[in-house]
Amino acid sequence: MHIMEGFLPWQWCLVWWVVAIPFLVMGIIELRSMMRKDREYLPLLGVCGAFIFILSALKLPSVTGSCSHPTGTGLSTMCFGVFITSIVGAIVLLFQALLLAHGGLSTMGANMVSMAIGGPIAGYAVYRLLKDTNVNIYVTVFLVTAVADLVTYIITSLELALAYPAQVGGVFTSFTAFFAIFAITQIPLAIVEGCVLALVFKYIVALKPEILIKLNVFSEAQITGARRNDEAVSPAEGRS
Amino acid sequence: MIRNYTLELITVVAVLAFVAIFLMVSAGGTHEFSGSDDVGSQKIAELTGHPVESFTPVIPQYIPPSGEIESTLFALQAAFGGVVLGLVFGFWLGQRKPSSTT
Repeated sequence: MHIMEGFLPWQWCLVWWVVAIPFLVMGIIELRSMMRKDREYLPLLGVCGAFIFILSALKLPSVTGSCSHPTGTGLSTMCFGVFITSIVGAIVLLFQALLLAHGGLSTMGANMVSMAIGGPIAGYAVYRLLKDTNVNIYVTVFLVTAVADLVTYIITSLELALAYPAQVGGVFTSFTAFFAIFAITQIPLAIVEGCVLALVFKYIVALKPEILIKLNVFSEAQITGARRNDEAVSPAEGRS
Repeated sequence: MIRNYTLELITVVAVLAFVAIFLMVSAGGTHEFSGSDDVGSQKIAELTGHPVESFTPVIPQYIPPSGEIESTLFALQAAFGGVVLGLVFGFWLGQRKPSSTT
């Protein structure tokens, strides 16, 4: 979803940087207060960050015959919220802009708004919607992750469409053109990413449920319920 | 201990389906599997009528001299993530109190 260096007029680079900066500032403030309060959360932040690092390095082939990469921001969004996620996402984007020529410093604002801010906000909305319902917590993780991934690419399409409206049909026509490139490629990736992160979440639930309860990612009842279910012998295994 | 492996099964099926789709698409022949970033850039060139080469970086940037070096750096990025991941899960696993495991 990177917008390559030089492919965005400087006015738009500026606009997206201005949008992104408040999130980064908030992220740094939240991160500092969290570290001062309790260092116990740091390993979990490490796991969330590690997944953004790993997944955004994997460029996977997709149905449309082009390659794209997942974003991995869903897990961090659920555990730590949008602001801290924007910091982690920004670090990854900075690495890729400086060393890999994927994205660039001028377009980093736009790339942050799509991957590190916009996607997480959408994921967070889904999370808040499903958090206190009866929906299985792993289904919630799946949906949050998949939505955060897809919305990232929808926002990239929108950013490009705003900067490059088509001569005929304007912003909407070019949005559909970019959407066809990015978002459709992304649907299968989002599904796989959702499954993988749900699985990771299951292992966190198995190993460190108390951290998730303390952060109030899910209620204690939901976490213990999920644990009990995971530890129960599945019907298929019981029969054999 | 986890005994219910439903989610693991679903993930394996999803990954296998993904691979199967890839094999089917790539058997079709004409696809290059270039990055969607590049495809997007080409679309910009098409919409504006300027060739891709005319878009020069606003801020000068380092470009990996070859695909080999680029893949090294990507591998490094993933490896860093993997190390942190293994470290934390290992730490948690070691922290767990030796409970009455059966």
